[in-house]
Amino acid sequence: MWTYIVRRTLYNIPVFLAIIFLMMAALRVSDPVSAQLSKNPTPKEIELKKKEFGLDKPFIVQYGIFMKQLVFLDFSERSWDQEFTVKEMITKSIPPSMAVTIPTLTITASIAICVGLISAFYRGRMPDKILMFIAVIGMSISVLVYIMIGQYWGAYLPSNVFKDWPFQISVDASAGSSRWFFFVPSNWVAYCMLPVMINVTVALGYDTRFYRAVMVEESQKDYIRTARAKGASVKRVMFVHMLKNAMIPIITRIMISLPFIITGSILIEVYFGIPGMGRTLIKAINAKDFPVIQTFTALFAALFIASNILTDVLYALADPRVRLS
Amino acid sequence: MSIWTRTRRNIVLATASTAILTSSALSAGVEAPKDDALKVMQLPIRTDGPKSLDPVVGSTTYDNMACAQFYETLLTNKYANPMEMEPLLLAEMPTSEDGGTTWHFKLKPEVYFQDNACFPDGKGRAITSDDVFYSIKRLADEKYKLKNWWLLDHTILGFNEYKDVQNAADQFDYDAPVEGFRKINDVEFEIILEKPVYRFLYILSMFQTSIVSHEAVEFYGENFARNPVGTGPFILDTWVPKQSMTANRNPNYHEVLYPERSEWSKADKRNRLHRAAGKQVPFVDRIEFTMFAEDQPMWLEFSKGKLGYSQVPEDYFTEAFDLASRELSEEYLRKGIRSHSNMLLDFTFRGFNMEDELLGGYTPEKIALRRAISYAMDLDEINKTFYNGRRIVYDGPIPPGLDGHPENHRADAAARGPNLSKAKKLLAEAGYPNGEGLPPIRFLTSQSAINNAVGEMVKRQLAEVNIKFEPVYLDFSTLIENINKKKAPMFGFAWASDYPDAENNLALFFGPNESPGSNHYNYKRPEFDTLYEKILTMGPSDERTAIYEQMRDMVLDDCAYIGGMARERFYLINPWLRNCKPTERYYGWFKYLDVDDDARN
Repeated sequence: MWTYIVRRTLYNIPVFLAIIFLMMAALRVSDPVSAQLSKNPTPKEIELKKKEFGLDKPFIVQYGIFMKQLVFLDFSERSWDQEFTVKEMITKSIPPSMAVTIPTLTITASIAICVGLISAFYRGRMPDKILMFIAVIGMSISVLVYIMIGQYWGAYLPSNVFKDWPFQISVDASAGSSRWFFFVPSNWVAYCMLPVMINVTVALGYDTRFYRAVMVEESQKDYIRTARAKGASVKRVMFVHMLKNAMIPIITRIMISLPFIITGSILIEVYFGIPGMGRTLIKAINAKDFPVIQTFTALFAALFIASNILTDVLYALADPRVRLS
Repeated sequence: MSIWTRTRRNIVLATASTAILTSSALSAGVEAPKDDALKVMQLPIRTDGPKSLDPVVGSTTYDNMACAQFYETLLTNKYANPMEMEPLLLAEMPTSEDGGTTWHFKLKPEVYFQDNACFPDGKGRAITSDDVFYSIKRLADEKYKLKNWWLLDHTILGFNEYKDVQNAADQFDYDAPVEGFRKINDVEFEIILEKPVYRFLYILSMFQTSIVSHEAVEFYGENFARNPVGTGPFILDTWVPKQSMTANRNPNYHEVLYPERSEWSKADKRNRLHRAAGKQVPFVDRIEFTMFAEDQPMWLEFSKGKLGYSQVPEDYFTEAFDLASRELSEEYLRKGIRSHSNMLLDFTFRGFNMEDELLGGYTPEKIALRRAISYAMDLDEINKTFYNGRRIVYDGPIPPGLDGHPENHRADAAARGPNLSKAKKLLAEAGYPNGEGLPPIRFLTSQSAINNAVGEMVKRQLAEVNIKFEPVYLDFSTLIENINKKKAPMFGFAWASDYPDAENNLALFFGPNESPGSNHYNYKRPEFDTLYEKILTMGPSDERTAIYEQMRDMVLDDCAYIGGMARERFYLINPWLRNCKPTERYYGWFKYLDVDDDARN
């Protein structure tokens, strides 16, 4: 297995290098300096800014410098938009994002798998139709609508009636600068639970339909009929036989979501004031803050590659018929 | 071992690690309990907040808002009447005995920098004349990218030479003399200008010229921009970029008293703004700013009573006010909320690039084409439809309230639409009878829901005279990039005056300020430039106003832009926030605010 992991990692290095190259080239199509100038800039100010940002150097040199930073894990470059280093910005942004994305992923996957199983079991009958109707409704409404309604009806209105209503409208300055603030249970309930509920509501529709399709396909296979013929209970058939055999698509679905744990959700973070990576990234893109965008993309690409390799490993663990070679 | 056994084992391990992580997070994240007796004030910052807390590299409104809590300038605006100035770090207003070339300054005694580790024993020292020179010299240092050099370019005697020499040298020498800086003693000094420049005193009230200490700059190095050490009323506690900022009261703040009763207008007195007259500020122990990128959470937090005040976003105007009477709605009045509005020194416009092949130029045909477009547009319809008629549509680049602004907001030289017959006539004069042969007009503007809708309306308005209008919606930085590189034939933009003098707005048409400078129109009229250089040295007078009007009409005749409009900013103030009279002219007024915790609870 380790040989396989090392080999796959080596194969992916050119892919990673190409991703960084393309991303850096794409960013440089527009000029980032304009976004950082004063109200009345002079050509001299522009020249100094370009020099400060290293944009006066040839592209290939800029690429080399960034790759060197990645190799040595040196993220001490300053953001172009804020007086903080890239390392500070990213390490402070990822934990708040994870406080929302990890529970979202866990809850969504658990509920969606169960609903998918139930739906598949009742395929074509009323429970299935009701569940799928709800799923379609859930996924048809924009996340922005959920946020607006959730913030108003889930936090603002009840807090006017109940003094100790647990959900807050958005994160305020009292959160301070601790990156672990959102991992304190009471803070998590106050600031993250409502966003998680909204995220789960949106994601459930997509996931439920996917898992239902997987389960329906699985439920038509011969081994299910055999298990039922042997007298296995419905519960056992569903949760042991069927679920176990459906692990490959489930693993694929979950693993493909893993890198998004660090990206957070842009709209959720912007509206609820969660200082996460989604918010940081969108602000960086708007401000053409290349160091933050580049580092984040590199991190995301690396995670994506790692999760791909891990997915293959998990396939082999979940299904003995799969051999890593 | 089966996969399920392994999975079970992994789940146990994962649960255990989560428990350990959570418990360590609990111990790391719990904050010290707050003292309930402290007066804490929560305020919003709309959008992203500051980028930097170093005055010489700051430029945005939010940099200003943040820096003004920690740093102070020699002069400032009056809280009761922000259009007027008063000394802040000075004992008295500066004087000049030679008509504005040499200015004499006397620092206020007993003004200390905030206590900080950068000073011996952590004790802040008194400010001196040298601190003033040092702070101004930083504007000339290329290390700070000359971001605000334009404020003092060719203003102080020998300062341009100092800048060139020091930046060419290996090391920027802050001790090297500048001809125009004359130290008399630690608290008295003179600044000699190249020639009288009327705006100079305004510049000294701008946050970019705040007084900093060399000890802090040297101690914090490149982290100085996030470790402000000034003389201001508050000391920075935390700053989470684009999220929040908190600050505690400066216990050693110098004597600054709340404005006297006589300074407040009758309307202000009705709002009881005078009740703290003569008391030492600041009143609160802690100030907490939360940054809101979206309006809904800010509005809900305000409505809940958590925030002291809030701007009224466009989308919530009809919720807060009766549209016809502009009176605050009953619901808000019942809660004890009061409103306040300010006319901003604002110039929003649609500019032409005077170097553009199609739309630029000064020949009668080119001017006729631009005026035809202007006559075909109906700004009043835009104002009524999208801004509930709350903006002031006016002619000329000088906003309402300043010398040179036309009476009733109208100037004869303007091509104010809608006047379709004139538009058609001018189109024919421009060589495009009935719009024939005229290529589509490319209009670059920033992306927003309102801008997109306004773009469609203008498209319809211009179509009435057969002008094809092509709006292009861009993110703001791409828009700036296009304008700076002179690639935008026509563009939507705005300018907020830095100080209450029309000279600041007329500088937008001064030839040497062409893009990437603030003259985004790339307007070049030698007669205009000559007049601009003349007004720089003039104080307020009828003669100067007449020249302002002449310059205004010159720009209107050439039709370098279509517009302008000025915004009125509406605020709502919760009853627990006292002494609040929001203004955007300056941001040193937070120190005057007080909270009434009884009213809040």
